[in-house]
Amino acid sequence: MKATMHSFPYFRTQPSRLTAYSSGLKTPLHIRNFSIIAHIDHGKSTLADRLLQMTEAVSERDAKEQLLDSMDLERERGITIKASAVTVTHEYKGETYQLNFIDTPGHVDFTYEVSRALTACEGALLVVDATQGVEAQTVANAYLAINNDLELIPVINKIDLPTARPEDVAMEIEQVLGLSTDDCIYCSAKTGEGIMEMLDCICEKLPPPRKSEVKETRALIFDSHYDDYRGVVVYIRIFDGSLTVGDKVRMMGTGRTFTITELGRYTPTQTKSKTLGHAEVGYMVAAIKSLEDVRVGDTITLDTNPANEALPGYEEPMQVVFCEFYPATQTEDSGKKGDYETLRDAINKLHLNDASFTYEPIHSEALGFGFRCGFLGLLHMEIVQERLEREGGVEIVQTAPTVSYQIELRDGTLVEIHNPADLPDLSNVVSIREPIVKLEIICPTENIGDLMKLCDGRRGTYKSQQFISQTRQILDYELPLAEIIYDFYDKLKSITRGYGTMDYEITGYRADRLVKVNILVNNQPVEALSIICHRDIAEKRSRLILQKLRKQIARHQFEIPLQAAIGGKIIARETIKGVRKNVTAKCYGGDISRKRKLLEKQKRGKKRMKTVGSVNIPQEAFLAVLEQE
Amino acid sequence: MPTHLTTLSINGQQSSAYKSTADLGIVRELYSPDASPAGAYIHIPFCFHKCHYCDFYSLVENRGREAAFVARLVDELRIIGGYLKQPLRTIFFGGGTPTLLETSLWQDLLRAINQHLPIAQNAEITVEANPETVRPDLMDLLAKGGINRISIGAQSFQPDHLKALERWHDPENVKRAIVLAQESGITNINIDLIFAIPGQTLNDWLTDLDTAISLSPSHLSCYGLTYEPNTPLTEKLRQGRIIRVDEDLEAEMYEATRKKLTEAGYEQYEISNWAKPHYQCQHNLMYWNNKNWWAFGPSASGHINGLRWKNVPHLGEYLKATDLPSIIDVEKLDEDGQVGEALMLGLRLTQGIKLIDLDALLLKGKQGKERLCVIDQHTQSGLLEKTADRIRFTAKGQLLADSVLSDLI
Repeated sequence: MKATMHSFPYFRTQPSRLTAYSSGLKTPLHIRNFSIIAHIDHGKSTLADRLLQMTEAVSERDAKEQLLDSMDLERERGITIKASAVTVTHEYKGETYQLNFIDTPGHVDFTYEVSRALTACEGALLVVDATQGVEAQTVANAYLAINNDLELIPVINKIDLPTARPEDVAMEIEQVLGLSTDDCIYCSAKTGEGIMEMLDCICEKLPPPRKSEVKETRALIFDSHYDDYRGVVVYIRIFDGSLTVGDKVRMMGTGRTFTITELGRYTPTQTKSKTLGHAEVGYMVAAIKSLEDVRVGDTITLDTNPANEALPGYEEPMQVVFCEFYPATQTEDSGKKGDYETLRDAINKLHLNDASFTYEPIHSEALGFGFRCGFLGLLHMEIVQERLEREGGVEIVQTAPTVSYQIELRDGTLVEIHNPADLPDLSNVVSIREPIVKLEIICPTENIGDLMKLCDGRRGTYKSQQFISQTRQILDYELPLAEIIYDFYDKLKSITRGYGTMDYEITGYRADRLVKVNILVNNQPVEALSIICHRDIAEKRSRLILQKLRKQIARHQFEIPLQAAIGGKIIARETIKGVRKNVTAKCYGGDISRKRKLLEKQKRGKKRMKTVGSVNIPQEAFLAVLEQE
Repeated sequence: MPTHLTTLSINGQQSSAYKSTADLGIVRELYSPDASPAGAYIHIPFCFHKCHYCDFYSLVENRGREAAFVARLVDELRIIGGYLKQPLRTIFFGGGTPTLLETSLWQDLLRAINQHLPIAQNAEITVEANPETVRPDLMDLLAKGGINRISIGAQSFQPDHLKALERWHDPENVKRAIVLAQESGITNINIDLIFAIPGQTLNDWLTDLDTAISLSPSHLSCYGLTYEPNTPLTEKLRQGRIIRVDEDLEAEMYEATRKKLTEAGYEQYEISNWAKPHYQCQHNLMYWNNKNWWAFGPSASGHINGLRWKNVPHLGEYLKATDLPSIIDVEKLDEDGQVGEALMLGLRLTQGIKLIDLDALLLKGKQGKERLCVIDQHTQSGLLEKTADRIRFTAKGQLLADSVLSDLI
């Protein structure tokens, strides 16, 4: 299981049994490009493995569990982070079909990447666990596919399990997604049952690739990864024309040009090819140094004979969740490479592999040097943090996530801020806008009441409610992103005892009665402690923050007022009493050195703390404030 | 100051370069009047049970090694005694539990100190006693051997609180021990008490004080419970199995102690120490006045003219030595460090430091100005006060001594 990052098991350049097939394929009519979409843990990866095995692309002996998930992290978390593509062949009714299987990330934060991967396909297998039924991400991904005009084959997996209820689940799929129960494939990726039927169904039911629309070459980038030896490896689907090694290509979105040095497919071993033709799926290497030059959704065309129009649907990645990373320890030793440098190196390196997060160096008076980073979503943030710690070998202090705000100014301009401290002078501010999400929850009917209470308490607006089956429902709400980024998911899980699932999508920004709350320690405002929140909950949140501060800041020789204020108005107050006693009773049997060292330690402690208005605030206090409840 | 000491450039760094006090060269200098120790501390590292708050070096279940230990200690006393020409004014047997030693071993020990150490006419010689182990024959022996002060570790008179400290003695035995000591002619008696024990109320503590006063000891040490690192008590606190007494309550207990003991005729002379007139502990005062003393026995700390060291806290190592014991934590502070220590020690005394001594201290080293500034600051905030000829803590300042002293060192 010890695989280094991106050492895809099928990267080995051993001769493949199937190397000859690309010339053997006569007509693009027999190409089928498809994805598998599923909720987390519904067996997508196992199904992919079984599919490769049944097409004899991988022998049983070589089959590594979950072949397509490459990184350690992906395997451990059981989710797929990066999409990749594998080409196999299947005999159906005496004809050979080239099946290009495009893997997609299974999580909400990568909706855009999923939608690009789906664009590269004509059809998709919608996998649903026969014991779990339709979940929030099943629905979200199914609609993504339907919006991309994909043909869907419903696949009910894990039918071998004793608790499987395939007929019920088929009914759920029909009820929610309108896909007929008659079209369902029942299978078990584990035992292999139903897999051959599924492969036949792919050939039979999924449409062939569409015909070329323009003469010029157009290829869609649906994924990429960084390889230490060859630079960026780009996954592409050719829609029009073809690509050949040696071609000079242009990225239509970024405008950068490169010369192709290698083309090929994963079968699943890496198989080089001189050209990739119409409708084919494969990879391209072109001495591209940075992932930033390659944007998922961008169109590749020939530099000498470019297309007029790019393929539709390209978007810049949008970071909506922000937090700060600091090294857990700040090395004072100037001679050695400091912890900040280690963190910086790790972030730089990771960014080569994942250009969808942003980072900028910052300095916090409380926490020292670090980085403010932006992410596509919460899971994306967690993944980046884990990878930094695991692959970069740094221990990270992570502040609580915040969202981005759009500030409308009197002069009509709109500025985006990622940090309450950056809020411009309020006299110039017309409104503060926050990101809004469309939230879809699937849960047992009995929990609907509690979940509605939860959403209503989070400034949610009820949208709709729909039965999936007699016992489960879909609940749609619209909420501010800020209200779900802390502990919403945990609450959902605890209310539904684990049975509820959710999915969300950013729908835009909206102004609300948002205020900046300043925290004053000993009558001095402390910028690093300020927050932006809704006016209606400002008192409650302020009180929580002040109570935490009161616990974290040691008693001083004087009384310390702690206040929360909106503008000039104090909305909450706590007091830290003056210290009454700080004296060592004993003389340690003449061990004077020991007594002195204890006092020296106290002296150093005083120095290390951040002093605000002669109050010492420990680092922990800054972090405690950022935590929720 | 002896010339060879100035060549030591240790400056607060721990050094393992010195295997024993013999290597420091200091032993040879003990002849000289300004290096001569005023007292001696002798550590007896045996207990029959380890109390849960205690972090002093002591061993249980070591009956077999007590005789060997005393023999080694007698050796050490003989060797050092040979260098001492000025009479010692205090000797203190601490532990551990010194009274745990067999009477016959005490016989050897007392013979050794009288034979090998020069002892001043009115020297104060103290033995720490656990109330449970005080026995008539031992008390008689100690008194005859020159012991004139007994310090009894009562800690509390309430079984629940003793249990919280993992101290296993019957509170009644404190009284019995005092009577036995008095019957053998030892009248200078200290009782050690601890306050701010988990579960203790202000009333509980006042009752303990009343009980102690009713036994009319000449001296009382009252310590606020300290949570030392690496003790079972501190671990229990960390695990949340005990709850620390609230800071305000502890301060109230301390203030109540000052009031009650003053009313009962005891004078406070140091942060944790009270005595009937003329019964201040001379050995304690020696520490606070930063005098020279010699250290005997494993883990004992010594001090000669700013040089501090500690005998290795390991009985096996101690027994192995053939000459003087191995030492660790050797430290010789620079001038600024020494001034800091003198202030730290002197200000713990209730009467404080003489202004002329303060002036002399502030002239030394490089931090005189900063220290003066700190003193002025704390005088203004009411933690320090100046009398006609002294600087000292105020009543409020005594409770915050470490806040002030950590600024001053």
